[in-house]
Amino acid sequence: MKLGSGWWTRLVIILLVTLLSLWFLVPSYYSLFVLERKDRNKLEALEKVLPWWAPPARYRLSLGLDLQGGVYMIMRVDTKTALMKRTDRRSVQISTLLKEKKEKQLEAVVVESLPEQRQIRLTAKDAAMAALAEKELLEAFADFEVALREEASFTLQLKASEARRFETEALEQALLVVRQRIDKWGVAEVDLRKLGSDSIQVSLPGHDNPEQARDLIGKTAQLEFILVDEDYPNFFAELYNKEPPAPELGIELSSGTLVAKEGQAILDYVAGKVPEERVVLLECEMTQASPEVAANPEASKATSGCNRYLAYLLEKTVSMTGDSLASADVVQGERGQIVVSLSFDAQGTKEFAELTTQHAASAEKRGRRLAIVLDGNVYSAPVLQVPIKDGRAQISNNSDMRPQEQQFADAKMLALVLKTGAMPAPVSVGESRQVGASLGDELIKKGSLAAVVGLLLVVLFMAIYYKVTGLVADVALLLNGLLILAGLAVFGATLTLPGIAGFVLTLGMAVDANVLINERIREELDRGNVARVAVDKGYDRAFWTIFDAHITTLFAAIILFMTGTGPIRGFATTLIIGISASLFTAIVVTRLITTYLIHGRGAKTISI
Amino acid sequence: MRILKHKTNIDFLKYRRAAMFLSSLGNIAILVGIAVFGFNFGVDFAGGTLVEVQFSEAVVDQSIREAGTQGGLADFQVQSIGTREDNTFLLRVGGTTQLTEAHAAHVEASLRKQAEVKSFYADLGNGLLNLRTAEKMDAQALSQTAGTSEAAVKEVRELGESQSGGFDYQIVFSGMAEKVQTALKVGMAKQTFEIRRVDYVGPQVGKQLRNKGVAALVYAALSIIVYVAFRFDFKFGPGALVSMLHDVLMASGYYLLTQREFNLTAIAALLTVVGYSINDTIVIYDRIREEMARFKGKPFSEIINLSINETLSRTILTGGVTALSLIGLLIFGVGEIFDFAAAMLVGIVVGTYSSIFVASPVTLWFEKYLGKDKKAKPA
Repeated sequence: MKLGSGWWTRLVIILLVTLLSLWFLVPSYYSLFVLERKDRNKLEALEKVLPWWAPPARYRLSLGLDLQGGVYMIMRVDTKTALMKRTDRRSVQISTLLKEKKEKQLEAVVVESLPEQRQIRLTAKDAAMAALAEKELLEAFADFEVALREEASFTLQLKASEARRFETEALEQALLVVRQRIDKWGVAEVDLRKLGSDSIQVSLPGHDNPEQARDLIGKTAQLEFILVDEDYPNFFAELYNKEPPAPELGIELSSGTLVAKEGQAILDYVAGKVPEERVVLLECEMTQASPEVAANPEASKATSGCNRYLAYLLEKTVSMTGDSLASADVVQGERGQIVVSLSFDAQGTKEFAELTTQHAASAEKRGRRLAIVLDGNVYSAPVLQVPIKDGRAQISNNSDMRPQEQQFADAKMLALVLKTGAMPAPVSVGESRQVGASLGDELIKKGSLAAVVGLLLVVLFMAIYYKVTGLVADVALLLNGLLILAGLAVFGATLTLPGIAGFVLTLGMAVDANVLINERIREELDRGNVARVAVDKGYDRAFWTIFDAHITTLFAAIILFMTGTGPIRGFATTLIIGISASLFTAIVVTRLITTYLIHGRGAKTISI
Repeated sequence: MRILKHKTNIDFLKYRRAAMFLSSLGNIAILVGIAVFGFNFGVDFAGGTLVEVQFSEAVVDQSIREAGTQGGLADFQVQSIGTREDNTFLLRVGGTTQLTEAHAAHVEASLRKQAEVKSFYADLGNGLLNLRTAEKMDAQALSQTAGTSEAAVKEVRELGESQSGGFDYQIVFSGMAEKVQTALKVGMAKQTFEIRRVDYVGPQVGKQLRNKGVAALVYAALSIIVYVAFRFDFKFGPGALVSMLHDVLMASGYYLLTQREFNLTAIAALLTVVGYSINDTIVIYDRIREEMARFKGKPFSEIINLSINETLSRTILTGGVTALSLIGLLIFGVGEIFDFAAAMLVGIVVGTYSSIFVASPVTLWFEKYLGKDKKAKPA
């Protein structure tokens, strides 16, 4: 008897899948067994040691924090407090506005802030005055709407859409600040993600200093406006020519300032050489990554995408702080250019007017540059063109020749920076898990031992119980294990301790499919069928049972994946891949081998 | 080789009343146990700090408890994990930082006596006090005012002069984990130890995680029932649901009886039991459906018995093999992974039993009930 062409096609497919799985495990092998421990989390290091034919380094199985040690934190952004602060602030602005409307006699309206409800209650002398005040206020503050109207009083409430927008912004602000602070440590690999609407997940594999990690939320980010120095215009150039930096630092001189890939290199180089009352701060230039980072910050692996760092020489005294900033937004300028517009509150307007009058461009001198600094990082340093008395300023970059979307992304980032300073949302640690490296090593050892023992027991049992057919099932089982590992690698998944447990359990359950098939074949043999018929019938009849059983388990796994976090998610991923792999190995692979044994070799009996 | 030498013909349904009685008794006992004693919720759900410590020499947990009490740790639990030679313990304390609301109020009052405080904000979740004073303060002095043995100050940060007048300071309090470490250093001075793991979960997150865990179980159950009703027949749904709830309850009984920590891994174990339980039940249902098509007109109870008998060896084998795969985890697993494997084992044993003695009788009962309904309707 011959094997049909379908059999050969299937054999080729299975061999291809097996080879592909092995190929996808190459980066994982190099990452876990070739690389030195300290480089384990560095993609670039892995990229270097991988042979040319290997798949890209990102297809690798990385170890979870519980297995290699590290810090995992969930930070909660307290948007509720931030919204309360915003309501309070608006109420102050409202009473200021009302006091200015003396001609309409609105100064008599009593303003009462109800921050808990995000409401502001206004009580006028009579209904006519209330109506007038309402009209004025709704015009001036479009983010509020009328929630309740009584005779001479009415209540304004923050619009729900505004509150939502504000929450999204608060989360992005917090993400920005956290990313910056982590960048400063120079940690090998950080994974930052948004979690739900109010949390940020931070994973620092291999990191063992939770105290440092807590500093991430230590103090609220400070927004400062600092004048760029003008007394030492050639400071960087002179320093560079007088004491050239060591070439390995990678510091270069470019249009009068220092530029380097590593920010710390510049800071180390200039340390102790900065003039009195001056300070050097850096700007992170993101020529390439910027649009994506701004558009999709949740996915950004936070080596931040800083293309290079630029040095600024600034005055030491802070000209203004961000608390007096009222709002910042990206708008279209008069000639269609992208502009960041900002406005100050009453106090800020006064300070900004003084600052700009003194330092803006005039007939006899050029305008000075004012650096916008958040948390010690320079974001932009626009030139003060004209004195601004009304507290409404615009930042534009007319010489910017880059594509519109890139300009827009930069403007959005700048507006976000300004908002962060204007209204920081408090951040707190909701959850923190820290595992020492020694515990991780021990867990890997014990985990793999447990997996090997479990697997061996199952393999032995099947071989003894079902003899040759059992061995066939064992082949499928081992292939199943290989497929799970390769699947995890393809998804760039993380192997956690619960993940190992899931792996073992999945192998146990994968055997179920073969048990079902083999028991069915035995039944058919008992009914007097010849081996060939019994095998075909057994596989056909068992198929739907296996399918239903797998699908239902898959449901549980998918739900576990959707609701779980951290290590539990690793467990669910393993389970999902395992179930899918088991369908393939049990139904396709074992059938192929059994068909070969029966049809290909013309056997009349089957060892089962 | 075969476990069942001959085709069996056991009347399983005969034992359905006894089985239902036993199962109900077991379930009610566990429900009562949960209501009266409750689970030992881990920090994942209850919030608090968990520290794993390994000592270099043998230590009795009583001495750790004493060290903790002397170190001023309230709500302090000690649990030994792994084998005796591991000398490893899980220590649990309520709260995450040493700063309490009462202490923050106390610090504010004593500071106001010393200086003009322009603003004062306590961030209890992170153990931070943020304050602004009119005059420059000495960091050392601030640290002495704010710190006590109960609430140690880790650091006073001088944040500089504020634009709107005044000086900003931030007082950072030590975390609970450090308090545990100090208590052990003082109380067990003769021992050397290593802190291997520190978890802390804020109370709000704990609540969120608990809700999520329960939601996961409910969603999983619902989606499976819908699938079963869709793929099979509506009458199979309730049986699958009842046996699944039965198995999950019994498996959770492991955590109840042992009072081992009920945490996220426990939820994972219970969800896996859900998957296993349904998997086991489906196979029998599948056979019932097949035999119903083959023997039209045969009484439903006979078909059920026949199907259970036909799939009996598979039911036992799969349970056995899955249990076999857990042995490695039971031997080498430490802490929550051991608990995971143990709870799974309970789930497998109970799940095997329930797919025979619970799921099918419920289906039979439901069929009868529906049948009566149908007979009553036409007239």
